[in-house]
Amino acid sequence: MRTILAIAKKELTVFLTTPWAWIVFTFFSFVASTFFMSSLTDFRRAHADVAQLSGGWSQVEPEFQFLRNLTDGVVMPTFSAMLMVMMFLVPVLSARLFADERRQKTFELLMTSPVSTTQIVLGKYLGGLMLVSLTVALMLIYPGVLTVFGSSFSAVTSEKTTTLEWPTVLLGFLGLLVWGAAILAIGTFISSLTESVIVAIIVTFCVSLLLLIVRILAPSAGEPLRSILEYASFEAQLRNFMRGVFDLRPLVFFSSLIAAFLVATHRSVESRRWV
Amino acid sequence: MAMIEVERLTKKYRDRTAIDALSFTIREGAIVGFLGPNGAGKSTTMKILTGFMPATEGKARVAGFDVFEQPLEAKRQIGYLPETPPLYPELTVRGFLKFVAELKAVPRAQVAKEIERCAAATGVTSELDRLNGTLSKGYRQRVGISQALIGNPKLLILDEPTEGLDPRQRNEVLQLIKGLSGKHTVVLSTHILAEVKAICEQVLIIHRGKIVADDTMAAITGGRENGLEEKFIQLTAN
Repeated sequence: MRTILAIAKKELTVFLTTPWAWIVFTFFSFVASTFFMSSLTDFRRAHADVAQLSGGWSQVEPEFQFLRNLTDGVVMPTFSAMLMVMMFLVPVLSARLFADERRQKTFELLMTSPVSTTQIVLGKYLGGLMLVSLTVALMLIYPGVLTVFGSSFSAVTSEKTTTLEWPTVLLGFLGLLVWGAAILAIGTFISSLTESVIVAIIVTFCVSLLLLIVRILAPSAGEPLRSILEYASFEAQLRNFMRGVFDLRPLVFFSSLIAAFLVATHRSVESRRWV
Repeated sequence: MAMIEVERLTKKYRDRTAIDALSFTIREGAIVGFLGPNGAGKSTTMKILTGFMPATEGKARVAGFDVFEQPLEAKRQIGYLPETPPLYPELTVRGFLKFVAELKAVPRAQVAKEIERCAAATGVTSELDRLNGTLSKGYRQRVGISQALIGNPKLLILDEPTEGLDPRQRNEVLQLIKGLSGKHTVVLSTHILAEVKAICEQVLIIHRGKIVADDTMAAITGGRENGLEEKFIQLTAN
């Protein structure tokens, strides 16, 4: 356990002393803020419009009812939008985990130290996971801001919309975390296949794109393919989390995915010895 | 007692044979020079002994542990300096040595002391808080040796430890290695014969993947001033 933590700590130190993590943090917050601002604008406009209606919110179509409160109208749409962004940012974090060790010839140190391949893989994954958690934790700023300043919306609406439902917010946060952990596992595996960080980033992007295509194809495919694609689609898996409903199935789905890719990484690192 | 026992060790890369049925033993406490022209198979042999890669055939034991059957036990006995010092440029020297100490499971309470000891032995104490990435080649090499010393392993395997050093640093590193005799078994590879002559008691010469000489320094030189050079050129002629 101490070895795993030592490796994880080393990864975290390397990430935080190089620009990698900071680039990801900056870009992530920039995009998240943009989504947040646009959701807020929509929310404000919706409430201004509804105030003109004689019947108020009872006249609004069901599909726009989510705009009624801050949690479902602002926080959760922002979180959902970030699912897609993470597909392109987490690969940047996962890519150097193994590829960089090969390039800098430090891999020999790890492989000739009295540590097992399992410890190396888990240590590196854990280090990456800490960083993904830090990145996703940046998302907590927005509900935080709304908790402090949300009451200013009572000026535009009569609804009791200004208190956030933190349990819902935290489930959305968990959804983001689980999704990040899954991409990280895929990226870790891809990183173990190459010596080049750039190649690892690009290939992980492509795999992420495949996941995206699965999501796009699902509605147009015929049965039984449709059910399979629907099941494999990350958005369908995370839909309940993003609605604030706790669901065990996606947790099982993503843990299996993570376990499978970590086992594959282990095999890949081991097999490198045999060339 | 034998520190290293190697029996008919063979490594093939696809159709190229890097080392061909090597057999030798190295006794505990010896300082052994591992010589050979470039590409003779020195690094390959060292990589197999340290468990970095497996052999195609044959057996290797370190301090009685088979490097294929009991890799973790064998690795615990070894401090290894690869051809390129395995330094993370983003870590400080101290942070790096601490990481190595944790990998080698040095007891927590002794880590700081162990870092001081190994840094002092290799003369990098004043550089402990610098980033690895900013070190000169000479210091990189020393930190590499320092890293191998962590945990006080019985066997040190040093792949070209004096490569890229200036004459003064070369001399210092050689004196350092000489000072390790008795406490550690040292195997060092080099193609600089003068270094071997200065510190080694046993000499192994490898050529095209085969052992062509395995003897004490005295027996190989035959007491002549240029004995080692003559022997080396004669044995690696074709």
